[in-house]
Amino acid sequence: MENLPKCWNKKALPHKFCPGCGQSLALKILGYAIDELGIQNRAVYATDIGCSLLSWNMFDVDTIQTHHGRATPTMVGLKLAKSEAIAIAFMGDGGGYAIGAQHLINACLRDDKITIILINNTNYAMTGGQMAPTTLLAEKTTTSPTGKKIEFGRPLLGPEMLKTIAADGAYLARCASNDFDTTLKYIKKALQNQLDGRGFSFVEVLSMCPVNWKKDAQESLDFIKEMEKVFPLGEIKIPEGLK
Amino acid sequence: MKILLAGEGGQGAQSIAEILARTANTPDRFTTYIPNFGVEQRGGVSLAFLQISDQPIGYPKFEKADIIIAMGNRAIEPVKKFMSDQTFFIYDSSFIADDLVKTLQGQVKKYLALPAKEQARQIGSTKVANIIFLGALSYELQELPVEQIKKAMEGQFAAHPEFKDTNNQAFDLGLKYAKERPNQEFTGSKPKEIQKLFEDENKAWERFPEYCKGCSLCIISCLQKALTFGQDLNFLGTNLPQVDLNKCLACGNCQKICPDGAIKVTKKN
Repeated sequence: MENLPKCWNKKALPHKFCPGCGQSLALKILGYAIDELGIQNRAVYATDIGCSLLSWNMFDVDTIQTHHGRATPTMVGLKLAKSEAIAIAFMGDGGGYAIGAQHLINACLRDDKITIILINNTNYAMTGGQMAPTTLLAEKTTTSPTGKKIEFGRPLLGPEMLKTIAADGAYLARCASNDFDTTLKYIKKALQNQLDGRGFSFVEVLSMCPVNWKKDAQESLDFIKEMEKVFPLGEIKIPEGLK
Repeated sequence: MKILLAGEGGQGAQSIAEILARTANTPDRFTTYIPNFGVEQRGGVSLAFLQISDQPIGYPKFEKADIIIAMGNRAIEPVKKFMSDQTFFIYDSSFIADDLVKTLQGQVKKYLALPAKEQARQIGSTKVANIIFLGALSYELQELPVEQIKKAMEGQFAAHPEFKDTNNQAFDLGLKYAKERPNQEFTGSKPKEIQKLFEDENKAWERFPEYCKGCSLCIISCLQKALTFGQDLNFLGTNLPQVDLNKCLACGNCQKICPDGAIKVTKKN
């Protein structure tokens, strides 16, 4: 295995993510998935606003950077216009579960044949770690300095929520970015589901944010373990026929 | 006096600009300081514009700088347009090759090669390299008393009292360096060549200092504990991991977990 995915844009390296960022790890794995499926020429990649936009020149594939939360509808439109393209929408938990929640839910409801990869790091990382819909109870962020209270709602379980409305062909999964093999497997499955034209695919990736969590590498991995208790890992919905 | 400081985000260019601005901000002077950086919290080039003057200052930025400080390789390109034939250029010679600086000949008046990262490592922490620059800079800014700069420095890092002694030591080191080697042109030395490839008959372990950000994920994910932080530095100026080939099994965990693609492990037959 090469140290970098072939579809990464080598000129843009080193990339702009913080040291120890789990999002860049998920993007590296997405790169390997694109390589292994051989879809570099067909893939279209959309980033949201937030830390995810730091990947705007990361891939040597057609890329579009959209408004906050609008990566999903942009890719839905692209898929409608150009059905042979492989549409990949990449967003954070703010873009997918807060401002872009309507698009996520409706894309799932309509069973649009796109792949969504959503990074869950329990905060709005680019703007300094504010409280997000996924913030754990009692977790301290800059806008919940004494810990998140139950009044602000429990952490949102995205794939579980989508499962209640998903069509038969939908693929829903959750993994953690520090687990390379599982994440690669799930992302490849999510892309394969779109390649087969089966339906909507969604992967939530739990991801470290050492800078905003104010933790070092070891403590970040420990916190991922804490997150796994709230956000159970695994494939939440597998359509028939997808291996 | 117009001073431009440039470094990788996290190296502390903004901190030392703030310290100087606080020191210089007295009733008989005019001082401005404005930071300039992109969306990156860390890992991009960040610039600090600092002006100290007897006259009122119209605008916090400027076109040509009197002193430019470059703390990393990538800091050279963005500061080029602020150079003039009056500029004094101070750079970190533990990163920046003399060859690169030679191309600036004619564009700046004089140089000072300051191996700040190397010096900082010798006194215990590469984090204080910016303070060495501050020390060297304080020699150029004779109108600011050293005691006041040190006092402002203490205020700046009040949350970390454990660094107080190291900071003072680093400051004196930079000041001494600037005094003893005034405006010297080149050190004639090159940054140390970094060993990239470690191999034996069974495996090869390769590292890429130009990508590594020193997050330590590889070290804690190594089941064999074969990886440790070594003395060599990556492009951000933090320590690079190194491998103990006797312990390494070439399982590839470190390569898998590296978010920056800075490690490559190959098994040989």
